[in-house]
Amino acid sequence: MAARIISLVAFVAVVLGTGAIHARIPPTTAVDGGEAFVPDPALARVLSLGFNSLAADYYWLQAVQAIGGDTVITAELADHLGKLIDVVTTLDPWVDHPYRFAAVWLIESEQNVRTANRLLERGIAHHPEEWRNHFYLGFNQFYYLMENEEAAEELLEASRLPGSPAYLGRLVARLRSETADIDVSEVFLRELVRGTQDEASRAGYEAALDEIEIEKKARHLDRARKQFETLHGRDIMNVRELVEGPLAVVHELPNPEPESLPRSLGRGSVWELDFETDTIVSTYYGDRYRLHFAPWERAKAIEWARQRRAREQVQPREGNLE
Amino acid sequence: MRIWMRIWAIATNTLREAIRNKLLYTLLFFSVAVIGTAVLIASLSYVEGARIIQDLGLSAIRLFGVGIAVFVGIGLIHGEVERRTVYTILSKPVSRTHFLLGKFLGLALTVWLQLVLMSIAFAGVVLLSGGTLGFGHAAALFLVGMELMLIVAVATLFSAFTTPMLAALFTLGVYALGHLSRELYHLGQQADVASVTWVATWVYRLVPDLETFNKTIEAAHGMPISAVEVGLSTLYAVGYTTALLFAASYIFRHRDMK
Repeated sequence: MAARIISLVAFVAVVLGTGAIHARIPPTTAVDGGEAFVPDPALARVLSLGFNSLAADYYWLQAVQAIGGDTVITAELADHLGKLIDVVTTLDPWVDHPYRFAAVWLIESEQNVRTANRLLERGIAHHPEEWRNHFYLGFNQFYYLMENEEAAEELLEASRLPGSPAYLGRLVARLRSETADIDVSEVFLRELVRGTQDEASRAGYEAALDEIEIEKKARHLDRARKQFETLHGRDIMNVRELVEGPLAVVHELPNPEPESLPRSLGRGSVWELDFETDTIVSTYYGDRYRLHFAPWERAKAIEWARQRRAREQVQPREGNLE
Repeated sequence: MRIWMRIWAIATNTLREAIRNKLLYTLLFFSVAVIGTAVLIASLSYVEGARIIQDLGLSAIRLFGVGIAVFVGIGLIHGEVERRTVYTILSKPVSRTHFLLGKFLGLALTVWLQLVLMSIAFAGVVLLSGGTLGFGHAAALFLVGMELMLIVAVATLFSAFTTPMLAALFTLGVYALGHLSRELYHLGQQADVASVTWVATWVYRLVPDLETFNKTIEAAHGMPISAVEVGLSTLYAVGYTTALLFAASYIFRHRDMK
């Protein structure tokens, strides 16, 4: 009897001890480390031993888990995602969404965007009838790389494919007319909001649309300001002058906050004259919209373009030396 | 006619013997469990869940099908020799070739039966999760059956002259090489050294090209699988299996079983 009790106690002790040890082992995964090994795509294809689709799913789930609910991704994570999607689309090039997933998340450097574009081109090769891959490629070229002619070419291709929206043709014309501005951005972004299944990226696009809405209202006030100047021979002292008093030129000021923002979350923003930039701005953003989601993105695109020009200038010189 | 009756008798006996094997049920249980959990795994992705369920299901069928073919198959002949029942059978008007063919056919029937059961589980999971099934899935599963038949023939060949452990290792080696042969062939074609290209080409020609039976991606994406492709792959499987059984029969006829 005593032996049985001792055995039972020993068993319980072993179970509890093992549980306690296990509790001390952090439940991290390879992805949590941020440096999870991603094999070379060709090697992954060989090592998958015919289970290519299974391996592709494994790496796809890693990519989805890596993003999680984060809306901010680092350059390292973007590189990691690029490698994962490269492996996924090499193992199973007929996957559909991962190509556009790459386009949404690989935006941290010009190299990231180029990788996303290369992946989108692979997607186009395997899904020649899918207009959205052309659309995302065109967006990247317009928005991040400022390559409007290439973007127009892609959208033209997209517009010829079944299921593509009718406005793509007009978008092409706008891109080629050298007047690519917030209207083009708005059309792109509305389509991206409609097409994305990822909550985080949708929130980013919707935030950008809010900025465009405010910018459109600000431009309306710009026109009113010009009208005021023409009629009265002087500039406004403050924005209220546009609607108040005998000199008013507009009936009422537009809402300085996005219409999508519930009234209960309103910040009490107003329109004001920014004397530094001499522009009418909503205090909601405190700045005017300049095509991109945020000023730093605009700066990023300009910097990439500058680096590209510098490289192009160096390369012909090197070519001449040869 | 009487020969076929003898082969059939050995085959049905082998099927009965295999069905009593606990390992078979263990593998079958795990395969069905993996097919079922595909729904949970697919839920980790916010898109293409239906495709992931099908990928996982078809891959589980292939993986566990090969497991059943190898680990149940390799011991069948060895078991008969160990228990000395082979002498009783061969003392009757049954040649070694008939015995071997009967064993092969019995094991092929076993793996096909398991394939049908796993396919039913797969179809159930796909349909319950809101997916659709089509000709592509039927073709892909049929070709898995052809691949398993070929693997059973490979296992039969190795079990005709070696121990179960070695037969399992060799069969798994052929399975791995069979799925690598196309990659090796393409790598060989890019090599600068002519002899490497030559070796890669011959490895591709000699080793069973198992990728020809792999239509998982096509089925999961709903891509067309032509009847010609299925027909050619079937002929290839039958031809290769026949050749392996010829070789196995030759080896088994000359094997010293004392």
